[in-house]
Amino acid sequence: MRRDFHVHWLLLPATALVAAPAAATTYFTVEQAQQQLLPGQALAPVAVTLTPAQAEAIEKASGVRVRDKTLKVWRAANGGWFYLDQVLGKHEFITYALALDAQGAVTGVEILDYRETYGGAVRNPKWRAQFTGKKYGAPLKLDADIVNLSGATLSSAHITDGVRRLLATHALVVAPTH
Amino acid sequence: MTRTLLLAALACAFATPAFADENLFGYVRGAETLPDGAAELYFKATERNDKGAGTYRATDYEVEYEYGVSDRFNISGALQAMSLDTSGLVIDGYLPGDREFGLRASGFEVSGKYNILRPAADGFGLALRGGLEHSWIDKHSGQDKDTTSADFDVLMQKYFLDAQLVWVGNVGLEATYAKRKAIADLPADFDWPTNAEMEVELKAGTGVSYRFAPNWYASLEALYETEFETDVGQERWSVFAGPSLHYGGQRWWATLTWLPQLRGGGEQYAGQADTNLHLIEKTRQEARLKLGFNF
Repeated sequence: MRRDFHVHWLLLPATALVAAPAAATTYFTVEQAQQQLLPGQALAPVAVTLTPAQAEAIEKASGVRVRDKTLKVWRAANGGWFYLDQVLGKHEFITYALALDAQGAVTGVEILDYRETYGGAVRNPKWRAQFTGKKYGAPLKLDADIVNLSGATLSSAHITDGVRRLLATHALVVAPTH
Repeated sequence: MTRTLLLAALACAFATPAFADENLFGYVRGAETLPDGAAELYFKATERNDKGAGTYRATDYEVEYEYGVSDRFNISGALQAMSLDTSGLVIDGYLPGDREFGLRASGFEVSGKYNILRPAADGFGLALRGGLEHSWIDKHSGQDKDTTSADFDVLMQKYFLDAQLVWVGNVGLEATYAKRKAIADLPADFDWPTNAEMEVELKAGTGVSYRFAPNWYASLEALYETEFETDVGQERWSVFAGPSLHYGGQRWWATLTWLPQLRGGGEQYAGQADTNLHLIEKTRQEARLKLGFNF
């Protein structure tokens, strides 16, 4: 089979490789997000690595795959909790934070990094406020108790899934008494 | 080469620190639509190369503007052009002889796409797409030919592994009405019918795409196409399959696809060496580069 295509067909992908910057849009650092969601609270990191059995239990309870077994969790002096997590956007990870009160109810969600073409509306405070008060066992389903964001369906679905997974993680592993 | 350098410069200019969208594949289409009020500008170049004898290289160019009328309905308009270099190959009824020309405007297309189910929210994506295309250059021979086509596609899409793996499936139908212009200096006994012809093409395609690194997708896609004509019944069929590489940024994306013909049948030209392919209206291989810019 003859394959006499011009080499210049490879020029554009090569250009993309060279030109594509790895820079991201960072709205909050971890420290800023902690102060935003748990203002004035001293936070202490809690080391949690999920066992395979725990990860399986979380997946079964939430219906969401556990991609990273090493959790990023902090405990606040007032008994609250701060989780740092990532979910997949269309092309890159979306970094977000979840804050819970001492009873395991959501007190806030904040977006730290978002790099997608569309769907920046997930940063909208009204959309994020839908999660406030949710606890483990809440449906947390798009088009059910969480409104879908038009034009940001994938991002809003994955953040909703992520919160559902973290609430299951909190209730089953990190603070199982709640 | 100059055009490619220009496109490369444009790619650099738009390489803002940000990221991504659509068209993971070169040929098969996904079921998603642009959000309400969003727009996308596409540049597409497709090289059709090698008919198994002589020299044949045709390149199709397309500039398309797509607009999100609503979150579920997009409209688009495209201008088309082509260039051709063929020599040492005569196919009775199709290729009257050597021909070479650079970029020439060849046609236009308008289309609409309606999303019924969203792959991320509904678990399965489903969309309908319809288009109307008119061209005045025969894309095979480069001769004058008025062609009007209407096509209709059903587009399906499914996410796996949190959308890290994407499957798409397409089925479609295209109805074509065409009429060739007469040629003055045809070879002796060369058949070049100028009466109107009607053709129906059926298409099916599928592809899987995997995000192997942030912003980068590797894909495999396959296409089956067959065409029926009143006089000859099934005129041709072919199976193409090949890989794609996709890079998605926040403001722009690029997809490069190589699509060789694996099997084909139907009409063949006199003396065709490889009888396992259809090489009259198709070539041994195609390569497509798509660039998209989001607004």
